[in-house]
Amino acid sequence: MNLAIETKKLTKTYKTSSGMQSVVKDLDLEVEKGEIFGFLGPNGAGKTTTIKILLGIIDGTSGEANVLGRPAGDIESHKRLSYLPEKPYYYEHMTGLEITQFYASLFGIKDKDLCVNLLNRVNLGNDYNRPISQYSKGMQQRVGLAQSLLNDPELLFLDEPTGGLDPIAHIEIRDLILKFRDEGRTVFISSHELSDVERICDRVAIINKGEMVHQGRLDDLLSGGRIEVTADGVAENLVDKFKGDDMTLSLRAGRLIADLPDTMSPNEMIDAIRTGGGSVVSVIPRRKRLEDLFLESVSGDNLAKGRVTGKMTDDDKKADVKEEEVSS
Amino acid sequence: MNVILSIAKTTIGEAIRRRVLLIILLIGVLFLVIAPGLSVLSARSSYTVLVSFTLGVIQLTSAVIAIVLTVYLLPNEVERRTIYTILSKPVYRWQFLLGKYLGAVGALGLMMALMTGILVLVFKIMQAEAGMDVVMTLARAPMMYFVQMSLLAAVAMFFSTFASPIVNFFLTGGVYLVGTLFSPVFQDIAGNNSVNAMVKTAATVIHTLVPNFAQFNVQNTIINSGSQLRSEQMYYLQLVAYAFAYVAVFLIGGMMIFDRKEV
Amino acid sequence: MKLKRAPMFAVMALCLVVQGAIARINYPIWEKTYSPRTGSDLRGLSGDQLLIALAGFREMVAGILWVRADTYFDEGNYDAILPVIRLVTMLDPKQIDVYATGMWHIAYNFTDEQSRSDRRYIPSALALGAEGARNNDYTYELFFETGWLWYHKIDDNYDNAVNWWKQASEIKDMQTARKNILAMALLRDGKLEEAVDHYQTLLDQAEIEFNKNSTEYQNRQNRDTIESNLDNTLVRMAQRGNFALKGGYYNEWKYDTNPPYDVGFSAQVVVEDSRVLRVEGTWNVQPVGTRVRITLRDADNPNGIPAGMKWDRSNTVDLDPEKDVTFMQDALFVKNQSFFKRIDMARDPVMYPFTTDKYYVEFYYNPRSAPPHIQDRFGFNGEGMTDSNFLNTDIRNGQRVVYCRLELTRDQLLRTGEWSTKTPVVKTTNFVPTGARNSEDIIDVPGMRSDTGN
Repeated sequence: MNLAIETKKLTKTYKTSSGMQSVVKDLDLEVEKGEIFGFLGPNGAGKTTTIKILLGIIDGTSGEANVLGRPAGDIESHKRLSYLPEKPYYYEHMTGLEITQFYASLFGIKDKDLCVNLLNRVNLGNDYNRPISQYSKGMQQRVGLAQSLLNDPELLFLDEPTGGLDPIAHIEIRDLILKFRDEGRTVFISSHELSDVERICDRVAIINKGEMVHQGRLDDLLSGGRIEVTADGVAENLVDKFKGDDMTLSLRAGRLIADLPDTMSPNEMIDAIRTGGGSVVSVIPRRKRLEDLFLESVSGDNLAKGRVTGKMTDDDKKADVKEEEVSS
Repeated sequence: MNVILSIAKTTIGEAIRRRVLLIILLIGVLFLVIAPGLSVLSARSSYTVLVSFTLGVIQLTSAVIAIVLTVYLLPNEVERRTIYTILSKPVYRWQFLLGKYLGAVGALGLMMALMTGILVLVFKIMQAEAGMDVVMTLARAPMMYFVQMSLLAAVAMFFSTFASPIVNFFLTGGVYLVGTLFSPVFQDIAGNNSVNAMVKTAATVIHTLVPNFAQFNVQNTIINSGSQLRSEQMYYLQLVAYAFAYVAVFLIGGMMIFDRKEV
Repeated sequence: MKLKRAPMFAVMALCLVVQGAIARINYPIWEKTYSPRTGSDLRGLSGDQLLIALAGFREMVAGILWVRADTYFDEGNYDAILPVIRLVTMLDPKQIDVYATGMWHIAYNFTDEQSRSDRRYIPSALALGAEGARNNDYTYELFFETGWLWYHKIDDNYDNAVNWWKQASEIKDMQTARKNILAMALLRDGKLEEAVDHYQTLLDQAEIEFNKNSTEYQNRQNRDTIESNLDNTLVRMAQRGNFALKGGYYNEWKYDTNPPYDVGFSAQVVVEDSRVLRVEGTWNVQPVGTRVRITLRDADNPNGIPAGMKWDRSNTVDLDPEKDVTFMQDALFVKNQSFFKRIDMARDPVMYPFTTDKYYVEFYYNPRSAPPHIQDRFGFNGEGMTDSNFLNTDIRNGQRVVYCRLELTRDQLLRTGEWSTKTPVVKTTNFVPTGARNSEDIIDVPGMRSDTGN
């Protein structure tokens, strides 16, 4: 058994005014030990709900959830995992060190040096005697990380770890997470945006509206890029010859712009163009990006495949609100 | 146990910094300090007035603090999401609830100790001729108020596992009122021969089920020197045992609900 | 990992049973000690006061109310104090001072323009005292205060004063200095030997205290006071012939009280104006210090008794006295063997409503209320006093009092109807206008210690 997290047909249903609503639907997750796992999806997709189920804060309606080989919520497994919630707040009257010591005491740890070391590790060495109320968001997030390392966890749940942080903080956190993997920890990152952090994931799962859309190795998921071929002086009949479902061809005033999947070799087309007297202007491979995959997954077919760039936004505010409603 | 104490300690630290509680406390202290000024108005029985007024201030202030403090404990934890980090640690929910409750009681104890200290001080200054033993007798009433308020906090804690703070405020306040009111009503019914047996039984059942807050109001024998208690220690002990049992009832009830609650 | 329901419910149920059991055991103690007066009538409280009061802050509300009552005292707003007193004692029936002050206030402070108090309140004051004593039976204070009301305010029926003070004396915190007063009440009640016995008991106790610590000034003073009181009483009893009366040789010797002295009472009442009486009359006693009681009351009031009322008829503290009852009482001060007084009831129509048709004007003199120098002549029980016309031994069972009753109608008092032009005059048959009296009628009153006669 090499899985840190495993769910089978995990479902969470809430009663709402408009009837039963599934926030998580038949979710099958598999997170292997020692990997960085990205749990991606727009706001309201059911990410936080899933994490809460995995931590035993709420119960699933049906299905199975195992964490570290035990049923979700098991106190024994809590000794071996840790959780950094989205936008955590702490008791503001306490200093960074005090809050860390408080969390340590929940594990029965009284080692002050450990706390100081961890705070040093997250670059709070100069600030841990100041009250939390004076901390920036990034510093609070780092306190959160420090406390999440207290028990030397095998498994870390990071819920939106970069939310609201500046790019420098992003990089700091990314580096920390990479170190975690080097130390042999499993890191479960949930996110609705695609920052540098998510790009370091070994594997990702993308969920939308509570349902799994994709799960797999990032490399595998990102295969299936496109190749763009541009040529001048191309004859009309060429277009008819290559017309197919999986490609886009546009010919105007002898200039052809063809977009074909990378599973198809462009050589045939290039040969045909050359044979027909045309000249190839450019052949540009466009590798699939995580953003594209993400958009593809959550937006259905409305958006052009592989063309629209840019990251996911918080457009789907409605969904955001909905999640807040059902989970709090 | 460490877990519970850690949570309790943190809760105390937070509670004694909550501005709304400090304002209520400040108002209470203010009344205690100006109380001697009020009783100057009363040429006769100034001592009685001073004692009853100051004890009343302590009781009222403590009740408000107990309710306001406790009703927000759990909701604040959820709102700030601190509860998630705590519950993701090896902490049972009942431990969390118990820790929060003990924290509330601890904070309440500190605030009430402060008021009692000021009460003693006021009397030491105002009634210089009165011996320390007399002044210390006064402090017995707040001690029983503390037991009373601990019970009240348990009620609030119980309700906070399923009710919103505002609803809880009125629920707890209601239980306090009923718990105080029903005692004299029950005595009337129990002592009245014209009341039929059904009503009497019902009254006895309610009297047993609703916590009797009235019995903690021991100020009367303290205010009025002629104490008629057969055994004061016994009475106080009984009150503490009673409160202890009732606190357990409410906390266990709260734990059961909180254990299955989706936070 | 969830808590298991069954054992948790079991523990919960057990705790519920335990608290119920404790509450049961607890209950009898609590009832006896802390229960506010059962059946308290709290209707007089405003909503917020009621809420606070019932929420366990009775004492606090009581304290605040009492502070407010004190400002009313200062302002002279007596009517406002009454309900406060009632509320405070209901809220906190242990407030002895409020009971004591309250009953004093009710009995003494409601007065008309000529400082006569409204005696229609006395039953309420007595009821308040009785209630306070019941609620605070661990202390002598309210027994003492209630007795004092009988002794000093009503000043007629000393039996009640004796009863209350006997109860007060039995409570252990009764002040030693105050125990003397029971003997005084016993004397006025005609229980002379009992008074002597009481003094003797007190003296014995004082002696013991004195011997325990003879350097203590208090102990010496207390013993000496009681001793002197006892001596005085014995001397008075001897001189007034009380021992002789008992021994059956009273008529064989000249005692101060023998033969009885005729006080020569006569009186006339003139209704000068509507509700204004001019009262004059004679009382042939020279020394200053006689006050003849005059009352005016409804003739048909069932609670009326000659020159008084059934004061202890009420068990409830009624803040609204019977508004339709008229009861006036005043004292006629005797100087130069005559009395004269204008009694103006016109300015207090609420206190003197005059709703019925017929009224008694009564003159009443009881030697038991007299100061010692008068009693030296008249005796404890009036053996040394007589009046050829108005000596009465019926209206106060066995006591020798002077009593005279005149009648006036409503029309006469109000000067309405046929009396609007005529001046009503009622008088005893023996009444002689003051100026016409013979100077020979002046008689020196013999007395052992005041033989100057004036």
